[in-house]
Amino acid sequence: MSTQDSRRILFTHTRPQEGFRLLELTPELEKLLTSKDAPVLELKSPSTALAQAVVDPAAHDYVNLCTPTQTYRIRQVQSSNSLHVLRPSRGEISQADIKVVEDEAGESGALNLPDEAVTAIAKCSSTLELHTPPGGFSAVPFLEKSLRLYDRRSDDDIAMGGSADSTGPLGSREMREARENLFQDIPMSTVQCEQGWMELCAFVDGAEETACWRPSVRSRLAVWKRLVEGAFLQGIDLEKQFLVGDLWKSVLDDEDEQTEPPFPRALLEAVVRRICIADERPPLADDIIWASFDKVECTQWVGETYLGATAPTMSSAIGRNDFLRAWKDCLPETWRGEAVLSKLPNGCYNSPDPTTIYFVEPAQRQLTSKTASAPATAAKAKNTRNWHELLKGRR
Amino acid sequence: MPSIKLHPRCSSPKGTATTSRPNNPLPALLQTPSGLALLELQGTINVPTGNEEDIDYSTTTENAATFETPIGKLIFPDYSVHNSDDTKWMKRAYMYVGRYQRMTGEVKKLPRPIAVLQKRQASEGEELEVVEIVRYKIFFKSRPEPVTDV
Repeated sequence: MSTQDSRRILFTHTRPQEGFRLLELTPELEKLLTSKDAPVLELKSPSTALAQAVVDPAAHDYVNLCTPTQTYRIRQVQSSNSLHVLRPSRGEISQADIKVVEDEAGESGALNLPDEAVTAIAKCSSTLELHTPPGGFSAVPFLEKSLRLYDRRSDDDIAMGGSADSTGPLGSREMREARENLFQDIPMSTVQCEQGWMELCAFVDGAEETACWRPSVRSRLAVWKRLVEGAFLQGIDLEKQFLVGDLWKSVLDDEDEQTEPPFPRALLEAVVRRICIADERPPLADDIIWASFDKVECTQWVGETYLGATAPTMSSAIGRNDFLRAWKDCLPETWRGEAVLSKLPNGCYNSPDPTTIYFVEPAQRQLTSKTASAPATAAKAKNTRNWHELLKGRR
Repeated sequence: MPSIKLHPRCSSPKGTATTSRPNNPLPALLQTPSGLALLELQGTINVPTGNEEDIDYSTTTENAATFETPIGKLIFPDYSVHNSDDTKWMKRAYMYVGRYQRMTGEVKKLPRPIAVLQKRQASEGEELEVVEIVRYKIFFKSRPEPVTDV
């Protein structure tokens, strides 16, 4: 048989057809999926309640594809062409039918069945494309909506009924389960969920029922103040490695073992985890046992937190000098020199006039940077030949 | 069901490949471990669908659940097994529909590889699986033209 003949392939159509979806891969995703230990990916969409609470201006209903670390938005793109999935034929063709396409098919025919047949087993009129919005994905807005707000100053004596209760603190397994349960409804990758969780100093508490909390700015500041006080009294150097257990003991009133702790231990650990040196931060699944703080980063966090707690809006703007003084007062003695406005994170504050200052929410900060980049994306859409993007721009 | 699992391609395609997989007649470049390939057409393949009930499943063989309707032939006129490194053959592909109509197309590398997903069999709830990653497609963008039989 000549080589030419061997490339004449009978083409058939199989019924019933199968169901397939075609997903266009990004280079990173291709690498991930073809790697030896390819992870299981997830298609996630927010729960109905969350979808209503965190409105995405770009999409009404959506599904995100999540790798362990990355999130992509899936977009279904219709095509006027049809894409057929082929596979080698298993030879379920009647010889009589082949006459339709091949006159001399048969014993002496050019086609040697079933070795030389492929068959269409599915038709797809759309493909799934992946993209990442310019601002990337953040789990923070979803976490803010799904976590309960923990807002008690440490001097509040009216505690929630029996918070240092009989059930005892939760084990790390229960905490992990509660956390993972919550992440199920957040359409982001696990790493991004954990990042947001950590940023918000979120924690699991099992006092009344197992619940996930996010401390208010005020509570975070209260934890910090108490922590500095305790560390000072017990002689813990926050810049050197210390045992988080020791820090917790220093926070408690050591005169009377029976009094309730000012806040759950998990909250202290969440704050320590947030501000400890990033390289030393253990994965969220592990307990934080050792920690040390970086003076500069920690000071920055305290400044931002203080401003957020005391001057959260323009109408509550405070005097700059008052702010600087209070900021310094929140810090360990030797760190006071670090508290200067230029050390605050970019865009975290605004000044209505030269003497006052107020806090800008992270979401607002992103908004201003987004509006700046919006014309760029519009220009990009104009160049694209994808009519979905073109139409989206005009809407 | 806010989350659906998408499993990566089964890591041992060789194990399954040896078990009664039909020979793949496509050029080597288009062959994949699972045997799946992509073909893009302008328009679609119309196969009568109404007569599903007419089929008498009892008389056919054990594979009766599926059957194939011949449509035509795929021809890669410039392809030769002997110099498969050469990619010039990709520029020309024919698809015969019946015996007297022909479409001219080509084999194209996909700008981005496409993962073929399928519902995972034998799983409770909805789970998906990457059954193949395809990097090339056979592409016919023109309409069929009449030809004489080859």
